[in-house]
Amino acid sequence: MSRVLNYTLFSIAVLLTASSARAHHSHAMFDTTKQVTLVGTVKELQWMNPHCWIQVLVPDPNHPEAAPVEWGVEMDSPLAMFRRGWRPDTLKAGDKITVVVNPLRDGQTGGQVVSVTGPDGKPIGRAAVAEK
Amino acid sequence: MMIRQITAAVTATVLGGCLYVAQAQNSSKERIEAFAKLPDWSGLWEWDILVGQADGQQLSPEGLSKVKALLEAMRPTFSASWQPKYDQAMKALDAAVAADPNRPPATQQPCVIPPFPATYLPGIYEWRVTPEETTLISTLGSVRHIYTDGRSHPPKNELWPTRMGDSVGRWESDTLVVDTVATKPEITVIEFAKPFPVTVPMSDQLHFVERIRMVNHNEMQIQFTTEDPVALAQRIQAAITYARVTDINRMIDDEFADCGPGTDRNPVVNGRFTTVVH
Repeated sequence: MSRVLNYTLFSIAVLLTASSARAHHSHAMFDTTKQVTLVGTVKELQWMNPHCWIQVLVPDPNHPEAAPVEWGVEMDSPLAMFRRGWRPDTLKAGDKITVVVNPLRDGQTGGQVVSVTGPDGKPIGRAAVAEK
Repeated sequence: MMIRQITAAVTATVLGGCLYVAQAQNSSKERIEAFAKLPDWSGLWEWDILVGQADGQQLSPEGLSKVKALLEAMRPTFSASWQPKYDQAMKALDAAVAADPNRPPATQQPCVIPPFPATYLPGIYEWRVTPEETTLISTLGSVRHIYTDGRSHPPKNELWPTRMGDSVGRWESDTLVVDTVATKPEITVIEFAKPFPVTVPMSDQLHFVERIRMVNHNEMQIQFTTEDPVALAQRIQAAITYARVTDINRMIDDEFADCGPGTDRNPVVNGRFTTVVH
């Protein structure tokens, strides 16, 4: 599985300044050596700072009778997402999507977005580039 | 007698008014000429390492390469007397990270309006250039005032450390040379393998020089020098590039400073990210 290039931008962005910016959390919480593919339904696209989020309901294909599991998928700020083609209404509750994430290291159901494929099967926004 | 007095008063007023108008016209003409000599830095700009950044904030291969080079150029060499302070700060960072790998250490403020120099950060930048001042505004909420009206820094007893410090500048042809003092006496240092930066106290002689110019229509370069004769064994010199932003034509507030303990979505609680809807 390819490893996406993923370095904490905020830590790069505060070189030799008086104090740090965007230090609300570390991206080290995500395992960038792994990717998990989520095939599910949008619960909500949250358009907010400092991160937009997609809450995705993911059924277990081995246990379709069980309730789907909710995953939180972290994305960039609204301004950054807007510049890559996202809009506050790009996804709606009920949309079927496929999301690839770098999962949380602690095993909880969350991750950092790598790519999103929309209900029409087309990619949305800008996916991360795989490291060569 | 009364008529003479009134006539004299009216004449003085009219003459005074004419003189005022003449001076204003000359000032306007001079100011227009001063404006005409300034470079056109209009438009929107972003730090070029962010070009091609992905939705999860992952940098492009080109961006990553530039960052690595920049980190190397900005690695500080502390003086012998100051190295223990850095070592102590790094030790404290390591301990804080070990205690909670996902939370910034207590020395890191969560989501503040970026302090000086506020130039190498995410977001979009806009320059406002006038003969008296160049102002740098970012979508993260930072505003830098660089005075170019010939003034010097205020005397020491009129200066105290602030987030943006005191910046004065002068034009050398198309290059703006900026001198900044009185920032908070600390710097933040990145070790590439560390999840968080470390803040190191510096002396009150911390001083910065920037040379800013537009290289071509789509590119600006900022060369910066950090000096501290007490804390640093040598100057730190590096450069960053701004790329012109063409996909958007407005400054959208990134509301960065809204992120704080009350709005932070992390860490995960009961198996999911906590959410706060504004």
